Amino acid sequence: MNQTAAQVNPPRVTLIRPSGGLFDVDLAAVWRYRELLFFLVWREVKIRYKQAALGVAWAVVQPLFTVLIFTTIFGIFARFPSDGLPYPVFALAAVLPWTYFAEALRRSATGLVSDADLVRKIYFPRLIIPIAGVTSPVVDFLFGMLILVGVMFWYGITPGWSILLLPGWLFITLALALAIGLWLGPINVRYRDVMHTLPFITQVWMFATPIVYPLSMIPERWQALYSVNPMVGIIEGFRWSLLGTGQPNLLSIGISLGVITVALIGGAVYFRKMERSFADVI
Amino acid sequence: MSKDIAIQARGLGKRYLLGANGGAKDSFRDALVAGAKSLIGGGKKAAFKEFWALKDASFDIRHGENVGVVGLNGAGKSTLLKILSRITEPATGTAQINGRLGALLEVGTGFHGELTGRENVFLYGSILGMRREEVRRKFDAIVEFSEIANFIDTPVKRYSSGMYVRLAFSVAAHLEPDILLLDEVLAVGDLAFQRKCIEHAKELQKRDATILFVSHNMFSIKTMCDRVIYLRKGEVIYDGDVLGGIELYEQDCRGAALAWTETKPEEWPIYITGCELLDERGDAKTMFDYGERMTMRLHYDTRETVDDPNFIVAMIRSDGVAACNYSTELDGLSLGKVVGPGTLELQLPAVKLVSEMYSISVLIRAKGFQQILCGQTAGTFHVRHHLFNTHFGVFHEAGNWRRVDQDSAPRVASGQR
Repeated sequence: MNQTAAQVNPPRVTLIRPSGGLFDVDLAAVWRYRELLFFLVWREVKIRYKQAALGVAWAVVQPLFTVLIFTTIFGIFARFPSDGLPYPVFALAAVLPWTYFAEALRRSATGLVSDADLVRKIYFPRLIIPIAGVTSPVVDFLFGMLILVGVMFWYGITPGWSILLLPGWLFITLALALAIGLWLGPINVRYRDVMHTLPFITQVWMFATPIVYPLSMIPERWQALYSVNPMVGIIEGFRWSLLGTGQPNLLSIGISLGVITVALIGGAVYFRKMERSFADVI
Repeated sequence: MSKDIAIQARGLGKRYLLGANGGAKDSFRDALVAGAKSLIGGGKKAAFKEFWALKDASFDIRHGENVGVVGLNGAGKSTLLKILSRITEPATGTAQINGRLGALLEVGTGFHGELTGRENVFLYGSILGMRREEVRRKFDAIVEFSEIANFIDTPVKRYSSGMYVRLAFSVAAHLEPDILLLDEVLAVGDLAFQRKCIEHAKELQKRDATILFVSHNMFSIKTMCDRVIYLRKGEVIYDGDVLGGIELYEQDCRGAALAWTETKPEEWPIYITGCELLDERGDAKTMFDYGERMTMRLHYDTRETVDDPNFIVAMIRSDGVAACNYSTELDGLSLGKVVGPGTLELQLPAVKLVSEMYSISVLIRAKGFQQILCGQTAGTFHVRHHLFNTHFGVFHEAGNWRRVDQDSAPRVASGQR
């Protein structure tokens, strides 16, 4: 027997059986495979910046141009209000988290299919794939934040203490993207329609979220219904954290958190239930 | 469960549901249409056909055993490996695995073309279940084994396929599992690589690792395994010594469609129904001595009139080497219109093939080496000789030797050196 291998990995007993109960989510296995998670995230980041001639600049150029277009159309031509802030800052503070959310959602929902080879030929807890999917775009988000800092500096805006809550908002966004990805991923394995409709859905969703316009543009009586969209509270939260606009609505955030938690747990159970057949149908 | 058992399988089964229309519903639209149809049909459930890819498989494998899993295509070998490696879940039964398990069902899955060799070593290592620390420690050994040290910082998309496989395989070779599941896809590749693969397996054997090896190559099974589990239609029908397993495989091979034929055997216009090998006395047998004459009788049947088919008979050695080949068209026999059952006799010259096992592949092509009408394994035979084996090449035919220097005594010629 090989001594070193045995020391690093003490012989373990694996039991294989048809999985039964609903709550058979094996988080311990995900933890055991955390290094694979790390490498999958690392791979995505590496490839993204390696393949492109502009490299890291892409993480910066994309949101920058988006904001440029939004500023021209909505800020200058349509004269949307922007909570008393310069429109570019107002838009960028929302475009960055939205871009992250859309990308995290896309990757977590389609990751199983793009890594179909792995799923067919290698064992690992499949949950790793959507988790890696929502983690790797965080790097883009952080690069984008550097731009925001520059733009804020240019306009002389300094954030308050609320900026300390920024990681919290990011984490909630990640949880939401993962929760939806856990539901859509297995469906996408069976029906590839998901990956074709997703870009359209996220686009519509973006305009249903206060990104190019402020929440205050929505008539008061519609705001409660409008806030059913969990991204409303999240985007407002980002703006509050970064720019100090408005006050986070604790009730709507509470509702968002509740919905996300339920969707996440349900998603994990659903994902686990569907996971059994991934290798057979993918 | 006793301590020296590596894998204990009890009643493992895997069921697939095949849709009534035979095809999977691959888009949402199809699913909706199917759903609507079943609603209209009074809630009648769509009939699913059950298909057991693996049925009630039970066995114990001890630590240090090397077991070949053998069977025809679709017998359930890959399904068994996939269950044991946890890629897919069994529908029934349990399996207990004692020790670190490594599964190599395909080499290089997870390699990414944009990443360099170095980066891929780490990525692939973690995919195979190695710790980062472990890969780091073995990195130099991995690179050395792969023989591509100069290209280790080049993106693998610029590698030749040989380099790619070598690097992937050397990572896999350093996995050092207690139990290794090995699929024969590994043995695809050039001969040097196959040899490396087998050498590696032997290295593992020395370290007392347990190996479960799936292959169609009876030569590798013979060299590597000391036990065979034979699967037929998803069931374990034999579990015992290697020779018995190979015999079963030969039996099942007779008449089986060749793996790469694209058309369905049920639709072949002409097909082989049987094959006999006769010796000079006209007795049927499958073990021939080197130099013996062999007569092959091929029985065929047709589903439609076939115009001048070309029968091609190939002898394939058990390690996959095509040893020789006969064709009615090349050998000058025109069969004309063929309808209904018939028999074709092929008189072979004295067998000079080296001592090995050979399978007989029969291809029937339309006139002029066109479209393939049928492709089957007709049978197998052994050639026996005390000396001539694969080290002597494919066949041995005595040559004529003579000395052309002066009539000097042999002692002088050899004594000068």
